[in-house]
Order: sequence, then C-alpha cells, then structure tokens
Amino acid sequence: MTDTRIPVTVLTGYLGAGKTTLLNRILTEDHGKRYAVIVNEFGEIGIDNDLVVGADEDVFEMNNGCVCCTVRGDLIRVVAGLMKRQKPGAPAFDAIIVETTGLADPGPVAQTFFVDEDVKAKTTLDSVTALVDAKHVMARLDDSKEAREQVAFADRIILNKTDLATEAELVAVEQRLRKLNPLAPIIRAERADVPLDQVLGLHGFDLERILDIHPEFANSVSGPAHGEAGHVHDEHCGHDHHDHGHDHDHDPGPRGHDHGDDIKGISLSLDRPMNGVRFTAWLDKLLGEKGQDILRAKGIINVEGEDKRLVFQAVHMILEGDLQREWKPTERRWSRAVFIGRDLDEAAIRAGFEDCAA
Amino acid sequence: MPTFTFDAQVTSAHFDSSGAVFALGDGSVRFEDRTFDAVHDGAILCAVVHPSGDGLVTGGDDGRVIWSRKGEAGVLATAKGQWIDSIDASAETKLIAFSAGKTLSVIDATDAGFRRDFQHERTVSGVAFDPKGRRIAASTYGGAWLWYARIAEQKPTKLAWAGSHTGVAFSPDGAFVVTMMQDAQLHGWRLKDAKNMRMGGYPSKVRSVAFMAKGRLLATSGAQGAVLWPFDSSNGPMGREASEIGFDDTTLVNLVASANPHSRLAAGLADGRVWVADPAGQGLNFIKADKGAPIIALAMSPDATRVAWADEDGQAGVADL
Repeated sequence: MTDTRIPVTVLTGYLGAGKTTLLNRILTEDHGKRYAVIVNEFGEIGIDNDLVVGADEDVFEMNNGCVCCTVRGDLIRVVAGLMKRQKPGAPAFDAIIVETTGLADPGPVAQTFFVDEDVKAKTTLDSVTALVDAKHVMARLDDSKEAREQVAFADRIILNKTDLATEAELVAVEQRLRKLNPLAPIIRAERADVPLDQVLGLHGFDLERILDIHPEFANSVSGPAHGEAGHVHDEHCGHDHHDHGHDHDHDPGPRGHDHGDDIKGISLSLDRPMNGVRFTAWLDKLLGEKGQDILRAKGIINVEGEDKRLVFQAVHMILEGDLQREWKPTERRWSRAVFIGRDLDEAAIRAGFEDCAA
Repeated sequence: MPTFTFDAQVTSAHFDSSGAVFALGDGSVRFEDRTFDAVHDGAILCAVVHPSGDGLVTGGDDGRVIWSRKGEAGVLATAKGQWIDSIDASAETKLIAFSAGKTLSVIDATDAGFRRDFQHERTVSGVAFDPKGRRIAASTYGGAWLWYARIAEQKPTKLAWAGSHTGVAFSPDGAFVVTMMQDAQLHGWRLKDAKNMRMGGYPSKVRSVAFMAKGRLLATSGAQGAVLWPFDSSNGPMGREASEIGFDDTTLVNLVASANPHSRLAAGLADGRVWVADPAGQGLNFIKADKGAPIIALAMSPDATRVAWADEDGQAGVADL
C-alpha cells in the first residue's frame, strides 16, 4: 500500500534568519506543486495565498503520563482543517510546511506528528530544517537557548546569508553548528537560495532512510576527525565567545563562564557486534530517564546474530526502531549512534553503549 | 436508499426541515434532492442546522458564517483572516454561536444588528448552547467557559480541568457539561456544584457524543462499541460504570448520532459500516453492512426515522429505518 500521508516540513530559525524569504520562494517558484503553509504571524509572507494559514503556537502537555509529551494544539486543529480540503483518493497538498517563530521549541511541533492519532493518520513528519544567519548566528547561539535547540534538533541546517560573512567566520560557525548537531548536513546559502529538494522530501524521520551516520562529525573524546572541528569552543580552549566581537559582559551565556554549549551531539561507535536485548533495554532506560534532555537520536546497530541492520530514531522520549535492510557483504559492519541533547553525561552514555557489546 | 458520490470530503451530515444535508470540504452544501449551494471559498469546517430548521449555517476556512437554503445563501457574519472552527445554534432563542481562534461570537438569526464577541485565553475548540439557548459552553485548553449568550459585559464561569478539551456538549436537562479531551477521555461537570466527573477508559480519541433516551444516556464514540454513560440521576455517571453496545474488536466506533428524546442510536465505524440499535432492544441493524473507508459524518433525523452517513472516500447515503 502506498503511503498517502502528506509530508510535513518544519522550518525553524530566529527572526531575520531568512525563513520568510525561503517560504516566499517555495510558494512562488514554478514547481507545479501545491503547498499549504502554516505560519505564526500573518503579514510576514509577502504574497497572497489562500493556503497560508495562521497558527498560534498553542503548546500543551498531554495527560498521558509522559512528562515531556508536549504537543502543539494549534497544529492538530489546523491539520484537521486542511484535511477537509482533501478530495477522495487524492492528497489535498503535496506538502505542508510549518513555520515556527524564533522562540519556538521544535520538540512539541515534531511530537505532535507522533502523538496525535488523527494527525499521524493523515500526515508524516518529513524533516525539520533550521535556518541560521551566518553573520549573527554566533551571538544568537550564545544568548538564546531556543536558537541552540533549533540547531540541535534539525535534520538539515541552512547557513544563510553567507555573502555577509568571511570564509573564516563561516568555517567557525560550521564547526560550532556541527558540535551542536553532528547529524544534520549544513548547506550554505545566500538569500535562502537552496534548491527546494534540499528542504522538502528529506525523509528525516523515516527509519528506512537512515542510510549512514558519520560519528566523526561529532566531537568525541577520541578526538575530532575533521581538523579542528572538535577544538573550537571546547571547554579548555583559550578563547571564548567574546572573541566574536559580541558584547556579552552581562550575559554569561548558556553555561555560565565555561565555554562549551550546553547542548551537544555525542557520537558513539562500536566495531564489535551488540547484544540486541541489552541494547534495547539500555536505550529504553536512557530515553526514559534523560528523554527530556535528549532532543534527537539516531543509530544503526549491528546486532549479534542478526543479518539486518537495527535502526532507530528518537525525539525526546518518542522512540521508533526497526530492523531495516540486510547488511551488504562488502559493508563495514559496525554500530554507530548519535545522541543530541543538553547537559548529557557523555562518559556515562558512552560506557552504557559500549557495555551492550555482545 | 439514496446514495451520493461526492468529489470532496464531507465535513458533517445533518437533517433540516427538508431532509438530509451534507456540508463539504469543497465549500458546498448539498441537499438530499441533489440541489446544492457552492458557498464558501475554501473548506467548510463546521455546520449546524439553522435555528429556523431551514437549511444549514456553515463556518469556513474563508472566515465566513453562511446560511444556505436551497437555491439561496447569505453571509451572516465574518471573522477576517481566521477560520471558523466550531458552531452551534439554538432553535429556542434563534441565536447562533461560533468560534474563530480565541473568540466566541454570538449572532441572532432574527436580528442582523446583534453580535457579541467573547474572548478566551486559549483557542476555542467547540461551542454548545444549553437546552434553553441562553448560555453557551466553549471548550478550550484547560476546561470550558460558560457565557450568557446575550449579555455584553460579563465574567464567564470557568470550569477548569487540566488538559486539552476538543469539544463540548450540554446535557438536555442543562445540569451537566461534558467535554471531549485530546487524550482519549471525557470530562464532565455538574453545574450546580462544579463537581468533576471523569469518564475514561477509551482506546481512542472520542470524536462525538450524543445524548439520547430523554437525556438518560450519553452515547459516545472512541471504543470498539458505542459507550453509554448513565445520566438518569442527579449524580450523572458519578460512581457508575458505562455500558457498551455493538462491541466488535476488529474496529472502532468513529461517530455516534441520536435524536433525543428518542432512544435510537446510530454508530458509524472506522471500517465503513453503519449500524442502528435501540439499547433496550436486541441486536444491531446494519444499514450499511459493506466495509469501506471510515465513516466521517453521521446524523439522525429529529424524529429518529432516518440516518445520513458519509465516508472518507466521498460515498454517502440516507437510510430509512
């Protein structure tokens, strides 16, 4: 049976990062597709389109005992309304795009698409794309928890307005973004001029599409693999955020006076096969205890005695996992996983992961 | 049995004085005699029979509230740039209540100049008149608010209960307010003392509730059968168990419909079937026995002799019982 659910793309990014420019491009480009756009403030979008819908970031907690299960009530309502335009046998839209405000937590947006039964039946979360502004992102990451979370949560990061920054600045930004989120590819853009296939149809939450994970992107205790990627903004490095020319004398930043971001990605890998039962139990326990702090997780696990790859992805405490395709004969058969979250105990997570070796 | 194939999603089914009427996602209102009005520039999100019993009042994603009768239609109210999310009407007072965003608005079918707007802290998900048409309950996140329909300046009565309430109904005696909740349960309040009633245990979200049998029973969807809560005492269902009829663990009841004070109940199932039953009688009468797309609209005529249904694929029908 083909999946008739409508893919949903979430765009995050603080004010001025270029979301509106990108949305206007999506709506006006000659692509023959029909998109519905859910925005938070009317009037920002420059074009008149009856499929631009206002929403009000109505976040609430589910009463289901899951402490971090916050969802967006407005999205449930708006998606239900949009589905009424659906004709029998034909999707009403090629995609739905949700724009969030600069202060939005992407967690509840994403969770809505996993928790609400009606929304889940009609739509599927495709990906979360974060736009950041090359010139100002460093300052935003210093002073805004939401900005750090948006980057950490994303499946893809668009580094926009690269024409306003020097190559050295761009490299520094990319290194910091990669530490916050080792999973998301970073795409450089000017005036949000990324190809639309780099934003839409990414299948970021689709277990079948977890093809590869590159643990070397993350800062790991075994040392950065990409030049100085693990070196910048390290706890022990000699410079701090003030070097970027922003005045933060009254704002000690995300973690007081130490210089690492409170959020980071932890990359794990193991060449030995893993015990499937032990790994699953460990993962369940980790998400149960630390799920509030874990924004995203993804992994490909080599389970002992299993010819197929065990893949998983998680948003806070919401975990999806399945046996995927078979390992290819020529493929390096190893386990790797990335956990992105705030204030994570990297040593403990690494020890727990490696403890699952068969 | 008249059947219909619509090229659009059906939002809801109704019976007005002329027969069955369907409100559609393409913005049209379709009468049983196949006349139709294309009224909204967009989808119809909610609809109710006009207080006169003649035609439908519909709310659309074009921000309009429109009264459609056969061959004529007129805009009754607008909410610029907003969706009309919910609507109700009272044949007693001829008032119409609708919500757009956080605002509940009241208009008078007999007085075009009358309008009241009441603000809430969160988005309104459902509106319902009390049986006399004097008060309105509005469900929102965190509970339900009660307003006097005609009074301009007032403080609403707030019935608080944590969680997201997605729709609301008044009991026919006006003694209870019941809300549907996001997390697969109902909540109720006895108005005289604001006592809370929790009605849970559902495997799925409850999409519809219907009082029946002189208000002695509240039928609901959301389970493998139609769930019936007793409302035959001043305590309502407090401390009592619900019963279930038509249990079938291969499917779920998506919608229920009744015609209080009659005792007949109709249920539309997720597997496309529709049955009618009398809780005091025996067995289910399947008026649509073929399985198919989920039933998404269901209505019973006021005299409980006819049922209108529609499924997700645009198939619809009207059955005589």
